[in-house]
Amino acid sequence: MKNTIAQIRKTLGITQEDLAAKTGVTRQTIIALEQNRYNPSLGLAYSITTALKKHSIEEIFELP
Amino acid sequence: MIGSPNWFQRRKYSGWGVSPKTWEGWVYIGVAIAIGLLIQFLPIGTEQTKTLITMGLVAVIIIDVVHIMANIPMDERDRIHEAIAERNALWAILFALCGGISWQAVTSVLNKNMEVDPVIIAALVVGLLAKALTNIYLDKKN
Repeated sequence: MKNTIAQIRKTLGITQEDLAAKTGVTRQTIIALEQNRYNPSLGLAYSITTALKKHSIEEIFELP
Repeated sequence: MIGSPNWFQRRKYSGWGVSPKTWEGWVYIGVAIAIGLLIQFLPIGTEQTKTLITMGLVAVIIIDVVHIMANIPMDERDRIHEAIAERNALWAILFALCGGISWQAVTSVLNKNMEVDPVIIAALVVGLLAKALTNIYLDKKN
């Protein structure tokens, strides 16, 4: 599943470590997400959406 | 307990257990070793007494490490990786144990005696029970 986490994060000026802390995961998980090597659970996807100040998961994640 | 789960990370590439992640973790290990050595070199009684005290220390450390391992913070990706790695390790161990039992059974038949290691059988039974109980618990929980 592709996502635009890295682009949105950089636009907001948030580091990977900040995003990891806000969503309760490790920085390694954020890196894996941004490299499309890991698909988050629904709960984590919602946490990321909130942390990146978006209103819906579809704004960040794209089904293949 | 004594050690904090935040001081350690789970071992991924060198067996089971934990390894220090922060300076506090290294201090924890250093203090445990220092106490063990102190017990051996201090004139605090007979060798038997020292052995008993050392066994007590080891028991405390084991209980503390188990508590640390059970409470190490892990996110969902860590849990998935741990589950897959532990499952693969289990299958490898099962293969080795069953291979060992099979070999012993074959040599027993050929030598016309019954020499199958009960420890291997006990390990397989314990593993079977652990899996069954875990699945019962998970079926009820979810």
